[in-house]
Amino acid sequence: MSIRRILAMNRRYFYTLVHNYDRLSDSIYWPLMDLLIWGLTGLYFAGLSENSEQTIAVLLTGIIFWIVTWRSQYEITVNLLSEMWDRNLVNIFTSPLKLSEWITAVMLQGGVKMTISILFSGAIAFILYKYAFFQFGLWLIPIIISLCITGWAIGFSVAGLIIRYGQKVQTLAWTGAYVIVPFSAIYYPVSILPSWAQEVSKIVPTSYIFEAMRQHISSGHISLEKIVVSFALNALYLLLSILLFIYGFRESKKHGLGRLI
Amino acid sequence: MSNKILEVKNLTKKFGKFTAVDRVSFSLREGEILGLLGPNGAGKTTTIHMLLDVLTPTFGEINYFGKNLTDHRSEILKRVNFSSAYISLPWLFTIEEALTVFAELYEIPNKKKRIDKLLSEFEIEHLRKKQVYKISAGEKARLLLTKAFLNYPEIILLDEPTASLDPDIAVKIREFLKRERKEYKVSMLFTSHNMNEVEEMCDRIVFLNKGKIIAEDKPENLAKQISDSEVELLIEEDEKATRLFTREKITYLKDRNIFRITIKTIEIPHLLTLLTSNEVEFQDISINKPGLEDYFLKISKGVKK
Repeated sequence: MSIRRILAMNRRYFYTLVHNYDRLSDSIYWPLMDLLIWGLTGLYFAGLSENSEQTIAVLLTGIIFWIVTWRSQYEITVNLLSEMWDRNLVNIFTSPLKLSEWITAVMLQGGVKMTISILFSGAIAFILYKYAFFQFGLWLIPIIISLCITGWAIGFSVAGLIIRYGQKVQTLAWTGAYVIVPFSAIYYPVSILPSWAQEVSKIVPTSYIFEAMRQHISSGHISLEKIVVSFALNALYLLLSILLFIYGFRESKKHGLGRLI
Repeated sequence: MSNKILEVKNLTKKFGKFTAVDRVSFSLREGEILGLLGPNGAGKTTTIHMLLDVLTPTFGEINYFGKNLTDHRSEILKRVNFSSAYISLPWLFTIEEALTVFAELYEIPNKKKRIDKLLSEFEIEHLRKKQVYKISAGEKARLLLTKAFLNYPEIILLDEPTASLDPDIAVKIREFLKRERKEYKVSMLFTSHNMNEVEEMCDRIVFLNKGKIIAEDKPENLAKQISDSEVELLIEEDEKATRLFTREKITYLKDRNIFRITIKTIEIPHLLTLLTSNEVEFQDISINKPGLEDYFLKISKGVKK
């Protein structure tokens, strides 16, 4: 693998961010809107309940943590789509760039953009609601890494479908990640899900993270077991998703990448 | 021009039951310019895409520099580049940004100097801060050529490189390509719909039709396969000429005093002797010998003479 080529792809996607107002709004506008709408809604409902501080904390942390997963997957899928929209896919894949380098580049890109988004959202949450999102301390590191890996795994799964079937399935870039939202139990405990959905949530890594989040908000402690399970599931899903992407890429090459531009 | 730096053996691509490229074999030597020609749907783009590894062949072998493309993809593509009228660069990027990204992808040392030199060579240095979507089609073609030469390629695949260029710029581009070949022994695989350009540029031509190679030769030899020439004669004594041609059963088209006669090239001296011996004077003559374009048209119509 060449670090220079990985950095070149990151430069390419950085330029896209700078020039494209759509991408800038994805980074700033939507997280801001989510925090405003759900934060204010949370404030209202918090006023009706006894544990008002906890309610608002669960909502705000849920929003910010979900941004991590969503942002990580979005960078992978939308950066792939941007090559198609720009009619640049053939240019990229006729260069010496290896598929493993592209994969590394978009993971890195997702990580960086996710960090920017989370810092921005954390700052907004503090300014608007005096909510110190960094109260999780060092637990934030494994939590964010786990959520980020889930995003990558969803991203590569969706990217595998996009590279195989082209822009006709591009809507998955925006909607794909939401498949796991009901089972992730972002704003509510897993226990309120129907029993079959609770079974599904057992294989969704983010459900363990959001359960751990609520545990920390209510008791100040986090079960290490939940974090470990989420990492184990993520490792498996990330591996499978990258294999799926590589398979999709190879199948697509049988039909020709030139048809996708 | 001796080393084969690209060898294609039995290259075949099937899409279901349709065979787009059928057991195509050819080679490209160091410093050679090879034309890949054929009518629409002949399999040119499919072949080029397989040569660039963006389309997987059904079977067959592609070797660059004696190495298999599948096994040494990245190493090979570092020494190869391409330009096509059918692709673009990120349309919101400035030209400088787009080229910088590709210079880094190809790991070009001293990238700024290389970019400056090529921008100047293709006369688009004044556009460096302009966004790709704001430049004209001709400027875009030159930008894509700039990208294609960034990595000092040893082999370059050019798909319609001078399409949408003004004639004066097209001439400059051709001069540049010839210079690159002469100075750096760059080998080129060249497709174009401009037959004059192909005749001027290419040492050899591979002619594809319905996915198969139907001819492979020097441009002039392919043109020779068309045996008919057109002779135009300006004859003031047109009645005398008309009688002669009728008597000798020579088919002609007449427009005022101009006679157009299509005959085999080797029969032209006989025609001229006939005119002289029958005292038919002509005031002007032009002989249009067959060119590559005639060959292309015949093949495209499926009537190969």
